[in-house]
Amino acid sequence: MVVRTIEGAKFAQMVLLGANHLTNNATMIDALNVFPVPDGDTGTNMNLSMTSGAAEVKKLENESVTVVSEAFAKGLLMGARGNSGVILSQLFRGFAKGVNGAEVLDTKTFAKALQTGVNTAYKAVMKPVEGTILTVAKDTAKKAVELAETTEDIIVFMEGVLKASKKSLAHTPELLPVLKEVGVVDSGGQGLVVIYEGFLASLKGEALPESANATVEMDDLVNAEHHKLVQDYMRTEDIEFGYCTEFMVKFEDEKLKENPYDEEVFRQELSELGDSLLVVSDDEIIKVHVHVEYPGQAIDLGQRFGSFISIKVENMREQHTSIVGDKVKTKEKPKKKQDYAIVSVAMGDGLKELLESLGASVVIQGGQTMNPSTQDITHAIEEAHAKRVIILPNNKNIVMAAEQAADLSEDEVIVVPTKTIPQGMSALLAFHPDSSLETNKANMLEASKQVKTGQITYAVRDTQIDGLTIENGNFMGLADSKIIATGKDKLDVIKQLLAELVTEEDEIVTILQGEDAADEEIEIIESYIEAEFEDLEIEVHKGNQPIYSYIFAIE
Amino acid sequence: MSIELTTKDGHVTITNEVISTVAGGAAIECYGIVGMASKNQLKDGIAEILRKENFSKGVVVRQDDDLISIDMYIIVSYGTKISEVAHNVQSQVKYTLDKTLGLPIHAINIFIQGVRVQAE
Repeated sequence: MVVRTIEGAKFAQMVLLGANHLTNNATMIDALNVFPVPDGDTGTNMNLSMTSGAAEVKKLENESVTVVSEAFAKGLLMGARGNSGVILSQLFRGFAKGVNGAEVLDTKTFAKALQTGVNTAYKAVMKPVEGTILTVAKDTAKKAVELAETTEDIIVFMEGVLKASKKSLAHTPELLPVLKEVGVVDSGGQGLVVIYEGFLASLKGEALPESANATVEMDDLVNAEHHKLVQDYMRTEDIEFGYCTEFMVKFEDEKLKENPYDEEVFRQELSELGDSLLVVSDDEIIKVHVHVEYPGQAIDLGQRFGSFISIKVENMREQHTSIVGDKVKTKEKPKKKQDYAIVSVAMGDGLKELLESLGASVVIQGGQTMNPSTQDITHAIEEAHAKRVIILPNNKNIVMAAEQAADLSEDEVIVVPTKTIPQGMSALLAFHPDSSLETNKANMLEASKQVKTGQITYAVRDTQIDGLTIENGNFMGLADSKIIATGKDKLDVIKQLLAELVTEEDEIVTILQGEDAADEEIEIIESYIEAEFEDLEIEVHKGNQPIYSYIFAIE
Repeated sequence: MSIELTTKDGHVTITNEVISTVAGGAAIECYGIVGMASKNQLKDGIAEILRKENFSKGVVVRQDDDLISIDMYIIVSYGTKISEVAHNVQSQVKYTLDKTLGLPIHAINIFIQGVRVQAE
């Protein structure tokens, strides 16, 4: 039976198996990494990026290919790590564009999507270096377009695509001298080939090896539930080569004299015994991964060149039988979304409670020295589970990430760019659940501008700023983030700061006590304020925030 | 302004021009960068992409005590994970300077001066 189209659900499985297969090979890919910086993390980075992409895809059920590929691209973008991860995210961002609203993939659409992916990826770099993942993607897409002209059979097409990618990968050392020097193929390109291998295996309903080197981050992807998706499409008795066999051989000169090692020849010999073959070797060791029916034969072949560092053989039929027994849990009905939620950011449990008491639904731990990422904020938005979400970043360094998270979210999300905790507090007080999002945004922004913020912290190095000379360990007084007072004596700095900030019109000062602020100190500050500004009301809250001994909100 | 290295056989002087050209050359090979920008946007036009001979306008080399710090002003491609692109530039520039000039770099500070949306 010829398969001519790939539905969204099938494409989702392809992505998941591609990700899973990449996890199993991450260590091998790390070992290949010599360019641009030989730090051996390409496999790890690609794996983390791909895991993030797959996680987005996993959330979907029976959607169109368009929806699946867009979710995949979004996950890749958010989780992109390293050069290879950023490139991967661009390839699939373009891929999603190329799918262009299609419900299912046929060979022509698939090829066009691959080609659009390559076009997008090449646009994001000034000087594309050939002999990298970019080259492999480009050659593969070119071949895919040719194949789509001649075949409608998806499996024939994908086999051709994988073959083209392997051919291009083998050619990378000819294009990038450093690869040839070290005697490896490009690591990022290898990663892409592995992903395509996963795609094909998923289409054919073949099993790929599970591996012991799956990282902790992958645990949630490699659980039975995920395997079930892939594995339910094949029967245990369909596994042709039953043993996933991996071994590492350390070369020995004695043996090499008798059996000179030639990787190509060795690979050929192994390929006659089974499939899913990977052979990596350098001057010292060979690593082999292969699925065979008779593991002994493969292991014997390896032993001709040296001694074993490690050997691992797993019976895939056994694993498979136990996996197929599992049943996927039906998803719980999602809770009804509430109408409004407010996501905010603060450091210290006291501040968190304070913001929650003022109406924040979710408070992310973060601030001056620990900015939450776009992804952290995205998680918080999801956790808030509301149709309309307002984000209060409370720090100017977090505004950008908040804006990005708002853009990525499918809910109605806005950011009120509060730069300090007091601004966030004022904004929260101005919120009205019955008003529209726009009205709330305007009111909250206005309210946040009414409050003045004073902050007391200490310097961690000598510096000169805003015309002040500051020594390491000195206290600094910040008026709305401008340093206006500094000195060795904390109380002195507090007095200068308050003198600067408080005017006749002000009615109340709220003091947020930091984790290093003593109660006795607070009393001194209170008596100073009472003496100096008699009409000013004082409120004290335990904020327990680090870094800032005191935060003053004055209005 | 230049970096002085003392070896057992004498002095080696590397001018900032050299360092900024090497650093800029390494940076523009990074994926996700579409150009180097000038640090003085107003003077030199908003986020204008610099040519190779002007990289030094977008790369500032500083030496405090024995530590070399570099500020780089770059323009990135829209739709990439910018934080990650910046991080990739840092590691690539650091590696290249160490490999080609033997200069250990204390810090590379990245300033994203613009985001370029590519024509579809």
